[in-house]
Amino acid sequence: MTQSYVPKISLQNVGKTFTVRPTKDAPLGSTLTALDGITLDVAAGEFLTLVGPSGSGKTTLLDLLAGLTRPDTGKVLLDGKEVTGPGKDRAVVFQQYALFPWRTAAANVSFGLEGTGPDGKRLSRRERAERARTYLDLVGLAGFEDRYPHELSGGMKQRVAIARSLAYEPDVLLMDEPFAALDAQTREQLQEELLRIWRTTGKTIIFITHGIDEAVYLGQRVAVLSSRPGRLKEIVPINLGDRTRDGDVRSDARFVEHRHKVWALLHDEVLKAQQAGHTKILPDGTAPDETPQPISGKAA
Amino acid sequence: MSAPTLTTNTHSTTQTSVTSPTADDVTLRRSPAPAAGLSRIKSGLVNGGRALWRAGAILLFLLLWELGPLYLAPASTRVFLPPLHEVLAALGSLIANGQLQNHLGASLTRSASGFGIAVVSAVVLGLLVAWYGALDRFLNPLLEVFRNTAALALLPVFTLLLGIGETSKISIVAYAAFFPVLLNTIAGVRTVDPLLIRAARSLGLSNFTLFQKVILPSAVPTIFTGIRMAGTSSILVLIAAEMVGAKAGLGYLIVNSQMSFLIPDMYAGILAVSLLGLAVNYLLVGVERHFSRWRTAVGSRNS
Ligand SMILES: Nc1ncnc2c1ncn2[C@@H]1O[C@H](COP(=O)(O)OP(=O)(O)OP(=O)(O)O)[C@@H](O)[C@H]1O
Ligand SMILES: [Mg+2]
Repeated sequence: MTQSYVPKISLQNVGKTFTVRPTKDAPLGSTLTALDGITLDVAAGEFLTLVGPSGSGKTTLLDLLAGLTRPDTGKVLLDGKEVTGPGKDRAVVFQQYALFPWRTAAANVSFGLEGTGPDGKRLSRRERAERARTYLDLVGLAGFEDRYPHELSGGMKQRVAIARSLAYEPDVLLMDEPFAALDAQTREQLQEELLRIWRTTGKTIIFITHGIDEAVYLGQRVAVLSSRPGRLKEIVPINLGDRTRDGDVRSDARFVEHRHKVWALLHDEVLKAQQAGHTKILPDGTAPDETPQPISGKAA
Repeated sequence: MSAPTLTTNTHSTTQTSVTSPTADDVTLRRSPAPAAGLSRIKSGLVNGGRALWRAGAILLFLLLWELGPLYLAPASTRVFLPPLHEVLAALGSLIANGQLQNHLGASLTRSASGFGIAVVSAVVLGLLVAWYGALDRFLNPLLEVFRNTAALALLPVFTLLLGIGETSKISIVAYAAFFPVLLNTIAGVRTVDPLLIRAARSLGLSNFTLFQKVILPSAVPTIFTGIRMAGTSSILVLIAAEMVGAKAGLGYLIVNSQMSFLIPDMYAGILAVSLLGLAVNYLLVGVERHFSRWRTAVGSRNS
């Protein structure tokens, strides 16, 4: 950084509109504004969590940051340069892990290392395996290199996915409800580890979640989106003091206070979203249809 | 395959089986040691019984084949339905004088060439059709017509145009084997999990790399299912083609023995055909399984 401060990520009046396929009610098709006038800066090394009712455009926003789609209005800047497509300076972690089932854990982790790197160099097979091992180690999966995804539990799969996105050393980690499909204990464990990884690697992290607790626990700031069309309702800075000390941060008075603040902000929006037909998240921050999802697709 | 459509898809793909809570996430789970040898003997007996039960129908059938013509059928039918040992003897002498090997060799050469041509061309065309929507819309109606025309119905056409030599036989085999591979290749590419495509795209993969590293490997098991089906149908069609006009091959052996009234030889030929079919299927099932190892997740877990 030279003289002036350049944020790592900068959203400037970003809007995104989808055309909706014609239905019976609207035979001509219609448009849907998913995001409207989002302006937000994220500093390098910051951990920002993003909450909002279902359908408020969180995933849409993440896609824009990842470069998978382009905004209809405004600009998405990364290091001051406009994002025009996906790149290895950013990594996405999905809720459903998105591991390649035909690759072992190690081969999944080294997926992003194949081909020429940003410096134009090509890693040898040995170097890739070495790097995969390092990152599996980092997420606590040493010794699981040769397992296929179907031989791993949900928590382990998400660890592999995190290792995969860290392995090619992006500056920015974009995470879309990465822990939503996990049980409470595993989720807590992974939150802990994510914080540890964030502290040791200094990545910029944008983390989408449905859990108010999770948002307050992880984020340095919590961005709250309004119900559709997604607008930035408020950004709540979180100050929990020294988090490295022992003790239950979640029952700390400051935590409870922040939690309530975010809850209150979300409350109205969630009601609005519910009236609009989205029921994924309740005002208390729980998401009843999140846990026992029917397994669609392949039959056993 | 544009990004917006994929966005909607992520919400609906809950393809992962939600596993039960795992506190011992990272610790290796050890299976409990078996209680004693007694249970092992018990399971051995059960397995043996099961194997006997599985072979039972075959054994009964062979027994019926052996004894039926001797004791149940009137003498006149016996000529047309010789008992098993006569057929086996005929098979033995066909092998001894090298005839069977000749016919088998001729059949194998034809089916392997036709099958090979079909697999290569169908996989290539299938990948193209699945990748380029316009090509699909253009070719689909025609492919639909051909696919639903029984290969053997076209046998006279092949014979008229290509003669009764090897070319026509290899061509009809290739034709019959082509469609299962083509359709499965297309289906395999179509059913790639869109989430995986998103994940790969987010890494900035080019179309070609995406195809090579995500779409193709993910489609491989489905393609091999098509290849296995093609193997079966290529033998089926070949035997029929050889029965109509050929100077060698298992189909020819069967028809020729019938016409020369060498009934045991005829049955020996039939037996050879079914053994060949079994062997080919077994082989291809093995290959298919090898390439879909990573997909066998769901069923085998709670065994
Ligand atoms: N490709 C698309 N075409 C049409 N509409 C879309 C598309 N993608 C998203 N939408 C719509 O845009 C809105 C925002 O979707 P998005 O997936 O970003 O919500 P979200 O905040 O991630 O929701 P959730 O919390 O349920 O994941 C939704 O109403 C959705 O129906
Ligand atoms: Mg979402």
